[in-house]
This record gives sequence, C-alpha cells and structure tokens, in this order.
Amino acid sequence: MRIIGPDEMVFGVDTLEDSKAFLRDYGLEDDGTGRFLALDGTAVTVRAKDDPDLPPPLPTNNNLRQTIWGVEDQATLDEIEAELSKDRTVNKAADGTLTCQDDAGFEIAFRITRRTELNLPPERINSPGAAPGRAANEIGADEDAPARPRTLSHIVYFVPDWEVMAKFYIERLKFVITDKFTNTGPFLRPQANDDHHVLFMIQTPPYMQGIEHLAFHMKGPTELMLAGSRMVKMGYQSFWGPGRHKFGSNWFWYFSSPMGVNIEYDADMDKHDGDWTEREAPMSPENSQMFLFENVEKWAPGGPPKGKA
Amino acid sequence: MTAPRALCRLDEIADGGAVGLCPDARGRATVVAVRRGEVVHAWRNLCPHQDRVRLGWRRDAFMNGEGTHLMCAAHGALFRPEDGICTSGPCIGDALNRVHVTVENGVVLGQPEDLPAEAVA
Repeated sequence: MRIIGPDEMVFGVDTLEDSKAFLRDYGLEDDGTGRFLALDGTAVTVRAKDDPDLPPPLPTNNNLRQTIWGVEDQATLDEIEAELSKDRTVNKAADGTLTCQDDAGFEIAFRITRRTELNLPPERINSPGAAPGRAANEIGADEDAPARPRTLSHIVYFVPDWEVMAKFYIERLKFVITDKFTNTGPFLRPQANDDHHVLFMIQTPPYMQGIEHLAFHMKGPTELMLAGSRMVKMGYQSFWGPGRHKFGSNWFWYFSSPMGVNIEYDADMDKHDGDWTEREAPMSPENSQMFLFENVEKWAPGGPPKGKA
Repeated sequence: MTAPRALCRLDEIADGGAVGLCPDARGRATVVAVRRGEVVHAWRNLCPHQDRVRLGWRRDAFMNGEGTHLMCAAHGALFRPEDGICTSGPCIGDALNRVHVTVENGVVLGQPEDLPAEAVA
C-alpha cells in the first residue's frame, strides 16, 4: 500500500493570529488561506476553532482536527477505500480525497500527495579521511542562510490504547515497525517511505488524546541549529533540545506553539528497508537521546582578564 | 521576614493579561504574573505535567486565545489564573505553584525567600 507520509495537518485554534505568526517564524510559507507550506508543499493548516469547514474536534482539548496522508497514486487510494470500507464509512470528496476515522477516533484523510520532489543540496561537511564535502573556498558557516523546513517528517499522537492504534496502521494500512519503546508504542513507517518513522504514539489517559508533536525535516544539523537559534532570539519557548535521538538518529529541537502542540525541527533521520530488525527499549531519558543541549546566550573567551590590555 | 522585592509595576501587566518575571541566568521567566483588575496572581513558571516545561510559547505570551486561562503551549493545558488549577489538558486537577505577591502603590511585590532560587533578577 503506497502511503508516503503525512501531507498536511489541520488544526482548529483560538489563537489564530499567534499561530499564523508562529508558523511563519518557524519557516513555513503562508499561502494566504491558513495553509503554511514546507518547501515540498507538505503543510500545516490553522483555522479558527469555530470554522464550519473544519472536521469535528476530538473529545479532548487537543486542537488537532485532521491528519491528511499523502499516497502515491489512485490505485493506492482505491486500495485504501476498499480496505477501510469493510468496517467504517469512508467518504469521498469531489477531488477524490477519502475521509474517515481511524480505530483510535482520529479524523484521517487520504489523497494523492501534493508534495513535489525536491532536488536540493544536502548539508556538506569536511571530514578527515574522506573526500571534502565542500570545495576549496566554499564557506560552511553562513549566519544569513535561509533555514526553511523541507518536508513534513513525522507526527506523534497521545493515544489511550497504543495497541489498538498500532494494529490499525500495521494491519489495515501496512505500516512497518522500525523500533519500539516497551509498553508505549512503535515507531512506524509506511510502505512508500524509507524514513525511520513518520508515525509514533505514546500511551496516555483518554483525556490527553491528541497530537503530541509534529516535525519537519531540515537540510541538516547546522540548519536545524540556525533555525532553532532564530526562534529563541524571537522569544519563542524551546521545549526540548537541541539534541540527537537514538531511535531514528534524528537531530531534534522542539518548540512549544500557540496551537498547544510541540513543533520540532529534525534533521538526518535514518533510512530503513525490509532487511531491518526492530529494536526495543524502555522509554526513558537515557534511551530518548544520545545527548541533549540547551541554547545559551552567545559568549566568547578573550585573551587577557577583564580590564587589562 | 526580609524586605519585599519589587517585581514589576502593576501597569506593566495589561488587565486580563500576563507577563513573565524573575528571569533566570538565561533570561527565561521563572514566574508568571496574571492581572485581574487591581489583583495579581503569580505562579512558578513550570507545568505540573512534566518537569522543566515552561508555560506559554513566546516571551510574555501565556494566555489562551480567549484570555480566560494560562496555557502551557507544549500540550495545551489550561490553568485558572485565580487558583492555578488545571481545568483541561494532561495535568487536569493539578495546580501551578503559587508565588505570593502583593500590590502596593502600583508596584507588584514578592518575598525574596518565596521566589524561585534560579531567579537572578
């Protein structure tokens, strides 16, 4: 089943203007309709919570309204429609988008992906013993470089029964487990995506159900640090990071957002194929990251002590 | 009891709004003060859901859109400004820790021994 990953996340908020400002400052492009786009066209959409065009809210106070999955082709949409119609109502919009609920009660949709294929340079580094990543005289540190999220990477849900939810995505939509945290939930990737995970879930009491965070891929660790540093300078609240996760290997930096959800920059996630054997570990600070830093004000040592020439 | 410390002027907090006070060494507010008319309620800037997590999403941006509650923007928890009780979200039923403040002659005052140890100003 050729599902690629999340195409667009839809929120209904009471902080509309603050949310729009956040998403612009985070680096997404405002298309003027409430949709904020990464470079490849994947997006976050925010609307006022009483907007009649929004899908219904969750029974909790979480502001997520819909997860729109992008698929490769019409054949995949037909396959999903046939599979999910077995035990639920699947609605089909005029443009062919399918909408329904998953087994955890989240509003989900499927459409032929709107993402465009990117053809961009990676972060290039020079590493002794390896061919130089950058040509002679090509500078690595450019404080004025743009730092735009490239593509919607992954989403993480708070869910009351991770086993029910994981079963739905694995058995019905053919997602694959890459790794798992014991009694918490698995890291999942769909068939048409080799990223370590596009979906992860954390078991919580039912009143917490919702989205915990969403993440966009950046060019590389340097761009992630640059984008995050700019957010801090603008006064935004760092939630966690920067650091580097163990499962997935992705660099991370999370920020609290006025949508009431954390939004992460990530970079350099592992890729997997069918030869991979899943790992399992208890969820803990030790297992969640290889290392963790916090941003501090700029500082530099000088030569002589203060006040001496 | 030591002499009270001036934390800010009352008119630096919009009526119905909130500001961050008592920054730590990195400039992060350790106290959040909400104003309701002539009354100020102050709270430790830590969400009861997860240690280390601060409320709000941007400097002095702590209120939900309707201006009725303090918000932890990490996971959307809402807190009543008057008693600090979480009314919805992950830590529902738990409360923020109060920082005792008074308002005298238009100045918000706190007791130094009651302020967070990591506050430097």
